[in-house]
Amino acid sequence: MRRMNGVRAIIAGLALVLLLTGCWNRRELNALSVVLAMGVDKVGEQYVVTLQIVDPTQMSHDRVAERSPVVTFTQRSATIFEALRKVTTKASRRMYVAHLRLLVFNEEAAREGINDIVDFVARDHEFRPDFYMAIAKGANAQDLLELTTPTEVLPAMELYKSLKVSQQAWAPTAAVNIVEFLQKTTKTGIEPVLTGVTVTGNLKKGKSLGNVSRPKSFAEFKYVGIGVMKDDRLIGWLNESESKAYNYITNNIRSTVGIIDCPGSDGKFNIEVIESKVKIVPSVRDGEPYALVKTSIEANLSEIGCNVDLTKEAEFLKLQAAASDRLKEILFDSIAKVQRQYGADIFGFGEAFHRKYPSQWHSWKQEWGKHFQAMPFEVAMDYKLRKIGKIINPFNNVKKE
Amino acid sequence: MSMNNLSRDMRETLELILSLMGHSPDLIVRDIELASGQRLILLYLDGMVDKQAVQNNVIASLLDRAPAEEVPLHVLQQCVIDAGEVGFVDSVDELLDQLLSGCLIVLTNGTARGLFVGLPGWEDRSITESKTQSVVRGPQDSFTETLRTNTTLVRRRVKDPRIRMVNFKVGSRTKTDVTLMYISGLANDKLVEQISERLNAVRIDRVLEGEYIEELLRENKGKTIFPTLYNTDRPDVIAGGILEGRIAIFVDNTPFVLLAPTLFVDYMQSAEDYYQSMLYSNAIRLLRYVSLFICMLAPSVYIALTTFHQDMLPTQLLLSLAAQREGIPFPAFLEALLMEVTFEILREAGIRMPRTIGQAVSIVGTIVIGQAAVDASIVSPAMVIIVAITAIASFVIPSYSMSVPIRFLRFAFMGLAAVMGVYGLTIGFIILTIHLCHLQSFGIPYMSPMAPFRKGMQKDAVLRLPYPSSKPTGSARGKR
Repeated sequence: MRRMNGVRAIIAGLALVLLLTGCWNRRELNALSVVLAMGVDKVGEQYVVTLQIVDPTQMSHDRVAERSPVVTFTQRSATIFEALRKVTTKASRRMYVAHLRLLVFNEEAAREGINDIVDFVARDHEFRPDFYMAIAKGANAQDLLELTTPTEVLPAMELYKSLKVSQQAWAPTAAVNIVEFLQKTTKTGIEPVLTGVTVTGNLKKGKSLGNVSRPKSFAEFKYVGIGVMKDDRLIGWLNESESKAYNYITNNIRSTVGIIDCPGSDGKFNIEVIESKVKIVPSVRDGEPYALVKTSIEANLSEIGCNVDLTKEAEFLKLQAAASDRLKEILFDSIAKVQRQYGADIFGFGEAFHRKYPSQWHSWKQEWGKHFQAMPFEVAMDYKLRKIGKIINPFNNVKKE
Repeated sequence: MSMNNLSRDMRETLELILSLMGHSPDLIVRDIELASGQRLILLYLDGMVDKQAVQNNVIASLLDRAPAEEVPLHVLQQCVIDAGEVGFVDSVDELLDQLLSGCLIVLTNGTARGLFVGLPGWEDRSITESKTQSVVRGPQDSFTETLRTNTTLVRRRVKDPRIRMVNFKVGSRTKTDVTLMYISGLANDKLVEQISERLNAVRIDRVLEGEYIEELLRENKGKTIFPTLYNTDRPDVIAGGILEGRIAIFVDNTPFVLLAPTLFVDYMQSAEDYYQSMLYSNAIRLLRYVSLFICMLAPSVYIALTTFHQDMLPTQLLLSLAAQREGIPFPAFLEALLMEVTFEILREAGIRMPRTIGQAVSIVGTIVIGQAAVDASIVSPAMVIIVAITAIASFVIPSYSMSVPIRFLRFAFMGLAAVMGVYGLTIGFIILTIHLCHLQSFGIPYMSPMAPFRKGMQKDAVLRLPYPSSKPTGSARGKR
């Protein structure tokens, strides 16, 4: 009898299970708008939030060519969350932000501090913390997100992939996701950076589907250098070679290209960095911090415009020395510039001291900005050129017979 | 029965039998007068005995070789009747039993006994290929409906004098022969005793198939949907089973033989695992486990991911799934339910339909209905893929009796996924695991040798190790 009751309870439970399929936070895919990119422009005291969402019908095989694959909604509001909810008055579906790929701020928002925005993004449960962040340099985030792009159907995916690839293959950009940003912004010994992205060309035409109807786009976006932040505020920009130096020192180089003046002759030669390892070795001199930046690089010769005879080892070594000196100069100048001009420890010297000299660190911590600015440092190079490619000498050097 | 004893007058006995059998037209009565003037009555059921043998070995011998004077039955038994299996019946019940089992009955005056001559000879199916568990390489014969043929098929494979067979008659009306077969010394004696006791205690009027016995023997009746008594129509599997110390239960009139005790892993093994190279067999076994999970969980994981955990999918995949779901009027759960039920209907139709059209209809039906449903925007293409892979995966499970509970569980998991997402799946899976680990088959934990973990039995559980060390006699599953 008791068992019968148990069986009945299970059957009743299962029946209810079938009826209850509409509850909890269950949402069908076709009730969601997948937000791929979010732009936040600060205009006066208000935020203008732009959401780029996917039109799912445009992702299938039988898509209509005249419809844009993405839709953007723009909403002005005092807070981000309110803007997100207000957008539903313009759209039929709930905004689903878990697949956000890119969060862009305009320069004004970045200069005034992005803590308010980041707080919401980090606090809300729906955001998946793997999206990149960037600053629209000399442009509005809204303009950037309204651009149509040629390679990927979805502009947000193009922006996302482009940032990822450019950091890996070219290096003067910083693909910073929110977790990395939050870690750096909350630590004392290191400051965050955000990459800059700009829009060039005819914006009006760039925002129409016509932008992708011919080989050369009317307007295009471009990642430009790295923005130096102090806490959550943008304080300045690094140029291309400084940005690259930043990536060298923070070990973000997977592969990059270096242009070097030929030793002893006109012209330039190119190397392709294949391996780069930089170690910050902190030490204390006379009670003050001192850092040694130990750099070990492996590179291949990729393009030679010099008058050299590579069959001779001495000439090859000259090229190696020139490449080494050039990189040392770039690294040194970049660190010096950041020290002098911004005083923001984006390289994480402070973290290195914190790890090695925890007790001294506590006395420097409060005023680390000043200590960093005054910190002497040296760059030590261990530079190896490895391969010279499929041919030995440059063609203008080959003796005609 | 009041008149259980046979009468000394054979006419009286004959009248009694005829009236008990309702003068059945297939009851053949043959009156013989021997050279000595002694009269005999032969009784048999037409179609149940080998008529040729009755003619040559009984009637001819009685007429030619009977001694000149009247002799008692035991002389006929010992000296005259030319057959292997001849014995006495002392009661009406016994007589009827033998008569109905296909024996010839010989009655004479002056004794309250009768003779039975075992000359069964009915039409039976010849040995064919196994229809439920076919192999590419390996023996192709399978059991038939005749019990003796079946025990012989096993005996021919294991020529061990220690093979023991115990006979039972189960079913008050069908009086079905049930034979236990095991190897003395390998099988657990207690288990043999236990099964014998249960078979003797059975009160049922009919046993038409092994499932009747299976249900009667199961200790966890009504408590689980998992089969705890293995059945197969392959003699090589049964031979392997008794060599492992298990007990085979043959039931007359069915080509399926039961094997006790049974573990979960048995259902995931195929006879061919032992006939192919070890590497290949093990790869295929692992593939089967993968299929098991696909069959059980694929639709529910799809439902959970697309309705609760969209954030767990890669962005591109989410977008392509979202594109497919555009314009689908049903929630993912209903969509999946619709397709799965449709598939189950087609599958059942395919089994019940005449062989010749069955398979074609079910395949064509699935493809046509799937394609049409997609074109009509009733289900998404992704769902058709999920249902198709689920269906194919369910065919990979080697034992039909295991694929049935897995197919049931699939629907349960779909419900859980629709209500609680991956959280529900996790809960369901935990409950399932607890249930499986709790199950026993004749005192052996169902999930052994994994839970509880038995190192010595891993040699042929999920994987099969090479032969020399594979199955030393004595480390039998039954002996635990």
